[in-house]
Amino acid sequence: MIAFILKRLVWMAITLWVVFTVSFFLMRSVPGGPLDQERTLDPEIKANLEKRYHLDEPLWKQYGRELGNTLRLDLGYSFRLADFRVNEIIAQGFPISASLGIVALFFALSLGLTAGIISAARRQTVVDVALMLAATIGIALPNFVIAGIMIILFVFLLPVFPAAGWGTLGHLVLPGFCLGAPYAAYIARLMRTGMLEVLSQDYIRTAYAKGLSTRAVVLRHALKNALLPVVSFLGPAIAGILTGSLVVEQIFAIPGLGVHFIQAATQRDYTLAMGLVLLYTALLYTMNLLVDISYAYLDPRVELE
Amino acid sequence: MSTATDNQPDLQRYAALLDEARAIKGVSLGQDAWRRLRRNRAAMLSLWFLVVLGLLAVLTPLLPLQPPRQVDTSRQFAAPVGWPLMQQTLQLPGGNDHLQQDPLAAGFGDLGFLSGAMLRARVALFGKWSIASLCGTDKLGRDVLSRLFWGARISLAVGLVATLVSLVIGVSYGTISGYLGGRTDNLMMRIVDVMYSIPFIFVVIFLITILSAEGIKEPLEERYGINRIVIFFFVVGAIYWLTMARVVRGQVISLKHEQFVEAARTIGASRMRIIFMHLVPNLLSVVIVYLTLTIPRVMLFEAFLSFLGLGVEPPDVSWGLLANEGVQAITPVRIYWWLVVFPGLALGLTLLALNFLGDGLRDALDPRMKNR
Amino acid sequence: MMKKAVPYLIAAVCLAVMVWAVSFGTLPEADFTFCNGDEIKTVDPAIVTGQPEGRIVGALFEGLCRWHPKTLKPIPGMAQSWDISDDELTYTFDIRRGALWSDATPVTAHDFAWSFRRFLHPATASEYAYEMWYVVGAQKYSSGKVMIGDPVEIELKEKPPGALPYAAGITLRGELLDIKHKKVALPNEPVYVVKVDGRQRQFQKGATEAGTEDYQWLIYDFRSVGIRALDDRTLRIRLRHPVPYFLNLMGFYPMSPVNRRCVETHGYPVWTKPENIVCNGPFRLKFRRIRDRIRLVKSTTYWNRDNVRLKVVDALAVKSNTTTLNLYLTGQADWISTVPTEIVPDLMRREQADFNPAPFLAVYYYIINTTKRPLDDVRVRRALALSIDKRQIVEKVTRAGQTPARSLVPPEVSKYVDYVPAQCGRYNVEEARRLLAEAGYPGGRGCPKIEILYNTSEAHRAIAELIQSQWKRALGIDVRLRNQEWAAYLSARRQKKYQIARAGWIGDYVDPNTFLDMFVSDGPQNQTGWGNPRYDKLVEAAQREKDASKRMQYFHQAEQILMDQLPIIPIYFYVSTSMIRPYVKGFYPNIQDVHPLWAIWIDREQKARIFKEEGL
Repeated sequence: MIAFILKRLVWMAITLWVVFTVSFFLMRSVPGGPLDQERTLDPEIKANLEKRYHLDEPLWKQYGRELGNTLRLDLGYSFRLADFRVNEIIAQGFPISASLGIVALFFALSLGLTAGIISAARRQTVVDVALMLAATIGIALPNFVIAGIMIILFVFLLPVFPAAGWGTLGHLVLPGFCLGAPYAAYIARLMRTGMLEVLSQDYIRTAYAKGLSTRAVVLRHALKNALLPVVSFLGPAIAGILTGSLVVEQIFAIPGLGVHFIQAATQRDYTLAMGLVLLYTALLYTMNLLVDISYAYLDPRVELE
Repeated sequence: MSTATDNQPDLQRYAALLDEARAIKGVSLGQDAWRRLRRNRAAMLSLWFLVVLGLLAVLTPLLPLQPPRQVDTSRQFAAPVGWPLMQQTLQLPGGNDHLQQDPLAAGFGDLGFLSGAMLRARVALFGKWSIASLCGTDKLGRDVLSRLFWGARISLAVGLVATLVSLVIGVSYGTISGYLGGRTDNLMMRIVDVMYSIPFIFVVIFLITILSAEGIKEPLEERYGINRIVIFFFVVGAIYWLTMARVVRGQVISLKHEQFVEAARTIGASRMRIIFMHLVPNLLSVVIVYLTLTIPRVMLFEAFLSFLGLGVEPPDVSWGLLANEGVQAITPVRIYWWLVVFPGLALGLTLLALNFLGDGLRDALDPRMKNR
Repeated sequence: MMKKAVPYLIAAVCLAVMVWAVSFGTLPEADFTFCNGDEIKTVDPAIVTGQPEGRIVGALFEGLCRWHPKTLKPIPGMAQSWDISDDELTYTFDIRRGALWSDATPVTAHDFAWSFRRFLHPATASEYAYEMWYVVGAQKYSSGKVMIGDPVEIELKEKPPGALPYAAGITLRGELLDIKHKKVALPNEPVYVVKVDGRQRQFQKGATEAGTEDYQWLIYDFRSVGIRALDDRTLRIRLRHPVPYFLNLMGFYPMSPVNRRCVETHGYPVWTKPENIVCNGPFRLKFRRIRDRIRLVKSTTYWNRDNVRLKVVDALAVKSNTTTLNLYLTGQADWISTVPTEIVPDLMRREQADFNPAPFLAVYYYIINTTKRPLDDVRVRRALALSIDKRQIVEKVTRAGQTPARSLVPPEVSKYVDYVPAQCGRYNVEEARRLLAEAGYPGGRGCPKIEILYNTSEAHRAIAELIQSQWKRALGIDVRLRNQEWAAYLSARRQKKYQIARAGWIGDYVDPNTFLDMFVSDGPQNQTGWGNPRYDKLVEAAQREKDASKRMQYFHQAEQILMDQLPIIPIYFYVSTSMIRPYVKGFYPNIQDVHPLWAIWIDREQKARIFKEEGL
């Protein structure tokens, strides 16, 4: 187990290094550096600015410096938000994105599992068909369209939630839902299939034979095993929610990491963009690791290699 | 049965068996699957929908639609109208004003040979007649219906081509890895594992912003004819092959000890020949299912990038771009619902159909996978 | 046992994270909330550029002067009065008694001298430094370049004993005698020979050898720059030539003072953190949430605190115009400065009448690369300018009350200074065709393809498309459009890799100079390749001229040349597109779209009434 985790961590380090190197050289190869302004800078002023950010040094030297700093977990100052260190920006944005992600995951799991279980239990009925149709639509619509429709419905026609911003629980509901909806749909479908498969197995028949009610059979005996496909989907789902937040944060003006990343990439804020890519890579790796471990925990047949 | 036929002469018995065998029509895997698919009503409906959509998209220049790029500031945000259905509004080149720019080129953009020919055919067929703005107009007074059709061409092409790119990479990678086995297999799969953990969307955004930067984009476009859509094909292809590679590898491992592979090996077929001539065709079912399930994901991804302003570049249109323009125009002052609803509907219906078809195909091709 | 606890543990952790992340959102509401555009870059006055930054810096700091919210005339700020010498070259400011920093220490003339020095110092790399180059020696100081014979100051790496962590090193002063280049040991770093206190010393960057000393900065001596604190309350500034708008400049936000002790204790940018910052303006920084909001609270030490009526102000950082409007309409913001252009006509029709575009000191124009054929021919340029129907552009595309432009300087300046812009010809297709034919391209035949470059934006594209079709119709020439991302577009402009490019300029102060000095031959903003010695002379003469009416005449003549030669084609004058709730008082439309927060207040009764009516 420990050996497994260690091995994965080594791979993670290698991945991070590759991502770092590739993005470093990509970013520096772009003409029109981060110091471009509408006013043409006086050459002297520009030289002073470049010196300040070490852009006047040869590339390999910049690379060495950046790598060293990154290893010390010091991501330097942001180019565009000059008052902040990248670490500070991440520290401010991460909890916001994380809680948005958790709310989205909560929506995805609660709606998805409920719908899946009901659908499986009421197989081949109107309820089943309706739920599965809704799920398929959820998968088929881009989340910015869902968000647009939600805003029309719940902000303007029926003013229950604020239009945008961050602060109260009310601010979380709409973006959380829009972010979680497609994953709820996937989970519902997975849950339904998993449930149907489990329900056709012998031990369930035994349970029925014992005279247990459908509810008891489904919830107490079938659920745990039917969850397996859902758990293995959690890895990609978390990744998707992380990246989906790029759009949702933009629409609802939520000051999370997604917005920071898009801004950093389009404004060529080298340091911030790099920091965020590295953070997301590490995050994704860790999530996948956790999912693998929890999978082993849920299913004794699986062994970690 | 054997006891009953014990006293019959052998020859007669064999002849009877042979007749029996002749009477049985062999049912290939494909026919079997087709039969099963035909029983799935949702999948068949989806299939027809997609076929019609594909045909319409291909034949778009032939249809009597308004020019998708024709800016008409007097018709900004016009609501959908259904009557009269056809109007003589198309501006044709010619006339005595030699200074006038060719209105067809302005309205339709530079078309390729085939599309240009279709457009001329359309002019010959319908003259100035074109369909009214059934889906309203956008902020520059352009006809949404026509933009939807022209957008379909790009959206579908993006989905198809990018998926095919990923297919080629994934199938080759998976087959080679699975067939070679051993240490090579181990290493190749480890690489796939590592790549699974890279947040590709971030890398893609990065790549696209960088490749569309001045100084990189221009030479790419002028020297190699590579524009953002082409970059998109390759980048997306490079992401979505991972799952395919895994699935194919598993399939190949189970196939490679089958007798037909052994047979090929004994007659001296080379490794690559075995891989690409014997193994790959047997992966067809997996590949088709994968295809129908990946296209919607790629199309969604294109929409996602369009939302961030990194997808298809105007004046080209795609559904993602249209939907994004619609969402941008949502304000409480005035809701231009047609700008959201129609692109959303087009995107949603197509993806819905692809999903249903994919599910249907999977059930049809692999009975064991039923209900999964 | 352990295994059973795991799911509960995970759930508990998730719940805790959520509660934590949401908890720091429960804030007391602000009195006044406005949308401040994109996230600001910094609050350090010396480094900022841009309107959003200006609003925040203007609330936190106060310069020698302030701008009157209605007339934009300079009124006393940190300086309670000033003297201007008869030759208009020497300004003597009397610093206000009772002006305090937020740490309750008095604001002195030394603070200003030190702040201006920091502003000009090459290490600060201020983008607005050129606005102070009117001061004697300032340009030399901020360029960091020295010549033999100059008085110089040498900042050593070591710090004086007892200095604060970020204070400058020991500073020596002397006369630069020689600059030598050595072949051995650091051949790229010159050796400066300076006479310090009657003794010759040699300085070289990174020096290790005996006989030469290492240094941090070797620049022109600040004592020779025309900024001096005569005592705690008197600041004297000497200019190179008369600058009629110098007092306006002293109210411009980059010229705000910063607290030396604060900056030297923490260094940039740590000193700008809310817990460290010491400021002298009407508001203090409560906190900054990146890309969310900046909260400002009323300062208790500001000299005019009795007249500041807002207690808590939130500046929201929202980029999307649609979101901004949504916030306004749902009552979450009281003032927004941009609206989505698509719905401008709808907004104009609103019964609340709260969308009132006002003239703005900014112009939208096309620059022409006059080094490329056929644009090097002035007749072609004139033909292009005459055949743009600017009225159609403002009526069909921008639609917020912008006015067609026939000059570079917005005519609205005549309300503030005595200047009437020189104009180029009216829309005249016949004349344009004639000129083009004269240039050798009758009906556009044989005319090389022309390309319009613009930075990626729907509005710029729509305008470019319209102009494209207008030129095609009027002149028969083919025009291609090319869009580029912001950074790429700028570098293309700079390297003159364009033919015609979209441009815009917002005046820094109300004077024709802010527009006209862009197009002097070697001006850094002049990317047209056009230069005219007479134009340069006129602009320079105007800058040196004391007599106001003569000065304006020179500018007028200069602009006449510009409008005659047309290296640029003015298209329209911007309007400010603010939406402001009627209960916000003390908010006056003005040409620079500057609305100081100290003048603003809220009519609470009216606010309650309006919110009730709208059901918010």
